[in-house]
Amino acid sequence: MIKDLILMEGYGLYVWLSFGITALTCAIIYYKTFKTLKKYEKDFAEDLYKLSETERKLVAEKSKIASQILASYNKSI
Amino acid sequence: MFEYVNPSRVFFIIQKLINFINSIFFVILIIALTFALVLSPPDYLQGDSVRIMYVHVPSAWISLASYSCIAMLSILSFVFKIKNLDIITKSLAPIGLTFTCLAIITGSLWGQPTWGTWWAWDARITSMVILAIFYILIIFSHKLINEKSKAIKLANIVSIVGFINIPIVRYSVDWWNTLHQPTSIKISGSSTIHSSMLLPLMLMLLVLLLYCALIFLMKYKTEIIKIKKKNFKRL
Repeated sequence: MIKDLILMEGYGLYVWLSFGITALTCAIIYYKTFKTLKKYEKDFAEDLYKLSETERKLVAEKSKIASQILASYNKSI
Repeated sequence: MFEYVNPSRVFFIIQKLINFINSIFFVILIIALTFALVLSPPDYLQGDSVRIMYVHVPSAWISLASYSCIAMLSILSFVFKIKNLDIITKSLAPIGLTFTCLAIITGSLWGQPTWGTWWAWDARITSMVILAIFYILIIFSHKLINEKSKAIKLANIVSIVGFINIPIVRYSVDWWNTLHQPTSIKISGSSTIHSSMLLPLMLMLLVLLLYCALIFLMKYKTEIIKIKKKNFKRL
């Protein structure tokens, strides 16, 4: 049965290549997108940490996005 | 109405959506792959090579759908001048390009055993290549032009002009004699595909749509952070 699944009546190469290329492309793009997102989150949080504590609190109060990024960065470290 | 899609408002929902998609994705993927590679029957003419359809057709549909979205949002952006729409179109373009390329590559892999050739300049394939070129132009206009307003304007113009190509891709098999078979699945009217093949096709479409949503949300979140980082001093 496994042999049939691999060979697929002689079409195995084409079928497995199609699924393989799709899976590989999707995995690479997921990895790259995830890495870029984390990099920007980290950079932004580090910029916030360069501020004094009062300034940081003020920014976090003004911007909900900044406060959320700070919260998730705190969790990760 | 557009206030509801304000980045600050949706930013909180994005992470929840990403987590939700991540939690259900692999279960649906395994079910879809089992149907596509094991349970669905081989075609009476094409044999097991028909299984390529389960990645080729959803990829082509997604590439057309995401371009249509980009074009519609570009028109809205021109009329209402909403920055958020530009972030959405910018995030959608790479996804569309990926699936256009996947549709072309998997189509070529399906063409060899079915037609006996990897490539033919037939109407459907040529119009898909043109679609890929339009996606590349949109992405490059964002990457290569430094002045943001000019880049957005050019990307919007390109996407609106390229929208002419969408009906050409869709109806190319009806308008010209091509190697491609006529449309098997119709939204209105009866489809000519058997339910034993339609189910895995729809499951694979769902998997790829979830994947697109995941990538889109991550890209959209990145774009929002980029903007916030630029406007950091104003905060």
